[in-house]
Formats: sequence, structure tokens, C-alpha cells
Amino acid sequence: MNRILGVIVALAFVAVPLVIRNEFYLNLASQILIYALLAVSLNILLGYGGMVSLGHTAFLGLTSYAATLLVTWGSGQLSAAILAVLFSTACGALFGVLALRATGIGFLMITLALGQIVWGIAYRANTLTNGDNGLRFLARPQPFGFDIASAPNFYWFTLIVFAVALFFIHRLVRSPFGAALQGSRDQPRRMRALGHNVWMIQWLAFVFASFWGSVAGLLYVYYNLFISPHAISLQQSAEVLLMAILGGASSLTGPIVGAVIITIVKNVVSTYVDRWNSLLGAIFVVVIMFMPFGLVPGLRQLWARWSKPKAETKSEGAP
Amino acid sequence: MTTPALEIAGLRKRFGGLPATRNVSLAVMPGERRLIIGPNGAGKTTLFNLVTGDLTPDEGSVKLFGQELLKLPTQRRVHLGLARTYQILTLFPKETLVHNVVLGLLGLDRMRWNPWTTLFGQRHLYDAAREALAAVGLGESAERTVSQTSYGERRRLEMAMALAQKPKVLLLDEPLAGLSQQERSQVRDLLAKVPRDVTIVMIEHDMDSALAFAERITLLHYGEVIVEGTRAEVVADPRTKEVYLGE
Repeated sequence: MNRILGVIVALAFVAVPLVIRNEFYLNLASQILIYALLAVSLNILLGYGGMVSLGHTAFLGLTSYAATLLVTWGSGQLSAAILAVLFSTACGALFGVLALRATGIGFLMITLALGQIVWGIAYRANTLTNGDNGLRFLARPQPFGFDIASAPNFYWFTLIVFAVALFFIHRLVRSPFGAALQGSRDQPRRMRALGHNVWMIQWLAFVFASFWGSVAGLLYVYYNLFISPHAISLQQSAEVLLMAILGGASSLTGPIVGAVIITIVKNVVSTYVDRWNSLLGAIFVVVIMFMPFGLVPGLRQLWARWSKPKAETKSEGAP
Repeated sequence: MTTPALEIAGLRKRFGGLPATRNVSLAVMPGERRLIIGPNGAGKTTLFNLVTGDLTPDEGSVKLFGQELLKLPTQRRVHLGLARTYQILTLFPKETLVHNVVLGLLGLDRMRWNPWTTLFGQRHLYDAAREALAAVGLGESAERTVSQTSYGERRRLEMAMALAQKPKVLLLDEPLAGLSQQERSQVRDLLAKVPRDVTIVMIEHDMDSALAFAERITLLHYGEVIVEGTRAEVVADPRTKEVYLGE
């Protein structure tokens, strides 16, 4: 059942450019994938590690600025992409060391502060980042000769990267390391007493999350061909966090659903409704009230409740 | 002379103005069954927490087979062969019993850093975990979640998790607390079956239920060792009677 549903959804994602001819909506689909990747990568920390980070768009920014500057300074696209992701992940490794000095609210405040530092540098270091005006990225690359300048091609490129990332994160969640990460979320003290190095587990999770967040950043700057401090503001980090919570942080697919809803409300509904921010807030409150663990786990529960009593009455009805 | 399995010397710990452990020294020989008794607040669990690294002592030393532990983080001590159970249950309530034991086995397995293979594919971990559960009489319940089990079953799961790690020194914090008479005798049988290459140190608040198990007994009171000796010596000692009956 789950597998069939998965295949159908995957085929639907592949077919999007064949069905949607309108460039605006196709670009919207690419944006959704980029934010979905950012939300899924954040969810390694949030859902599986139990660490709430409010600075995750820092990695989107670090990669975008690094790639833009490298290309501007004359580096090749491929080396710029690799170096930018490496640089941003290395920053993630350092941020992880700082943030994991604390747990819970302390962790949240440190990630918030680190995110604000990155934002502050982007905003203030005029000579490097051009401040509030942002930087232009010269042109989309042509990975392996594949031209991703057009909207459908860019969508497919993004989809491939997204699928690869999702596959790796899916493996991670079900791996021994993933089990240790979830154990460290639930009972850190017991995990230590069982021989696990909880700090190292959480730090590695932080590095994984920042790596995939950086990959999302690379896609972001390829899509927009522009990066400014607005992309990495506190509001953006909070929005990514909301995507994961709205869709359901305890599942792999929840943050994707959250990214779809929030990106559509932001970009489409906002053209019809002035108070789209209030609408987003209302959606969030309603979902959390009726499905405190988010949409995907909530719908799964509903489905189980709806399909189970039927099966029971059937077996009772046929003695 | 052989090196003690666990040697504690001059251990002190204060919580603010309250001394919880005052100059505790004791040596447990390899293979020994040691019982630590004492009334509530005597500092028994604190002593375990100091040995495992959950707490850092103010002074003193703790050696496992001659190796100083105090500078090592908890997980390193576990890798050296130390295992413990908790008085207050700290299990993974939403997971199955077998998953709880697997997490324990994973703690000592290099596989725990692998972010790529599936955990379910690790047959050797699951086989060893089922074996450990069967040894404590929970073989049938391996796939149930912890939240579906009784208190007595959880106590036995605690034991299975510790025993599955094949420790050299096993610290049991009140393994009999809250169990029915029948469950107590089950746990006692289980402990009797633990091979002699495992040294066991057990805390028990209720002296009667644990006496049969102990070869040597240490009586703690207000964070100090009051009496130490064989079972007969400690039972006969007037200070034991004073601590237990004099209040």
C-alpha cells in the first residue's frame, strides 16, 4: 500500500513539467522542491535528533554567497559548487560544536544567534556581499552538458538532486546511526550508559543536516540567480521550521508536505488574499490543534482509524 | 594479589552543603557478588552515578581492573566493561523490547556510526538481542513495545539490556524493587545464572530479599561505609541493627 502510494507520488513529481505548462507554476514547483529539501534536512535535527534549530537558512546563505563569490572571482561552476558546499558544511561543523554546548532552549538560542551572525555579515559586509542589495549569480551551470536554463529542465535537475538527497536521508533515518540518533533524542543519559557517544552522534547529525541544507542553498542560488540577506532572515529560518512541524517532524515526508503548503500559500494565495500571513497562521493553528504531530502522522492515524473498524466489523460479521 | 574488579578510594561528593558521599572506599574482587545496603538517602545510587560518570566526584578515585575511570566520559567506561541498570526506569517506551536491547548492543558495536545500511539488516544484533531477552524470560515479548509491558517485565528488560552487553562489572540498582514475590524469585534465579566472570555489585534497600545473593555486604549510612564484611558478619554487627532498627 505504502509502496504503491510512493511510486504514484514519485511519478506525479516526474510528470509535473508535462502537465503544468505555465512557467510560473513550474518555477513554483522547483521552489517547493528546494524548500522541501531544506525542511527535510532541518528535520534530521528536529524530528530525529530532537534539536530545534532556528538558524538553518544560514547554510542556504553561506553556500549561495560562497558559490556566487567564487564564480564572480573566476572559478569554474563545478569547483565553485563543490567548494561552496564544503565551506558551508565546514561552518556547520563549527556551528555544531558551539550549539551543542547546550540542549533544548539553549541550543535553539545559540542556533538563532549563529543564524543572525551570518545574516548580519551578509547585511553589513558591503564590500563583500553588497549588503541589502544582494549579489547576482552570473548564470546557471550546465551540469554534464545538461542545460538547466529553461524552467522544465531546471525542475528536473532539482528533482534529481532532491531525490538523491531524500534517498540518502531515508537511509540515514533507518540506519544504525539513525537509531542511535533517535535514542539520543529520547534518553540521552541511558544512551551514554549503553556506550553511545551522544555528543558525537548529535554533532554528526548537525553536520549531515548542514550538508543537505547547503545543497538546498546551491539549488536556491541557481534558481534565483540572486542572493540577498532576505533569504536568510530569521523569518525564513522560522518558516522552514514551520514547514517541518506543519507537515509532521516525526516522518520523512511530513516536511515535504509542509513545504508544499507554505510555499503555495506564500506565492499563490498571497496574490488573492492580502492577509496571507494570517491565513498561514490560521492553517498552522488548526493543524496543530487537531493533529498535534503534524499533517502526515495525523492523516496516517485517521487512515488507520478509518480502515481498522471496517476490518473488524467484517470479521465479526462472518462467523 | 589480584587487582580488584572495582576499586573505589576516598570518594567524596557534596551537593551544595549536603555531603552525599563522604570518603567511601571499597574494593570488589573479580567474580564477587557484592551487596550495598543502607536506608533511604544513604548515598547508594549516588555512589553508582559516581562510578558510571553520571556525576563527577569532588575527590577520590574509581578504578576498573586497575584503570582509573574518573577522567573518562561515561561511554568510555561502558566500553571498558561497565554496565548498569537504573532504579528509575529509563527505557525507550515507544520502541519494542528487542529494539531496546539492540540499542544497547549497538553501543558497543562499531556499526553504530554507519548512516547507510539498514538497522533491520543487522541480523547479528537482533539474534543476540532475542537471545538476551529469552534469557530473562521475555523471548515471547520481543516485538511488544515497552509501553505495553508490566513493571516487572520492564525490570527484566533492564537486566537483559545490561547482560546483553556482556559486561565485566555489572551495577544493579535495586533490581528487585516493586516486584511481586514470584517476580523476585525469577530475578534471583536469573542472577544466580550469571557466569562468574561477571562481577556484580547490587544495591538493595530491602535487606531480606537480597541477602541470599550476597557474599560480601557493604552498609552505607549518610554517605559513609559503616560496616563491611561477609554476610554473617554484617548481619551480626550491632551497628547494622542500629541503622536498620534503631530509627
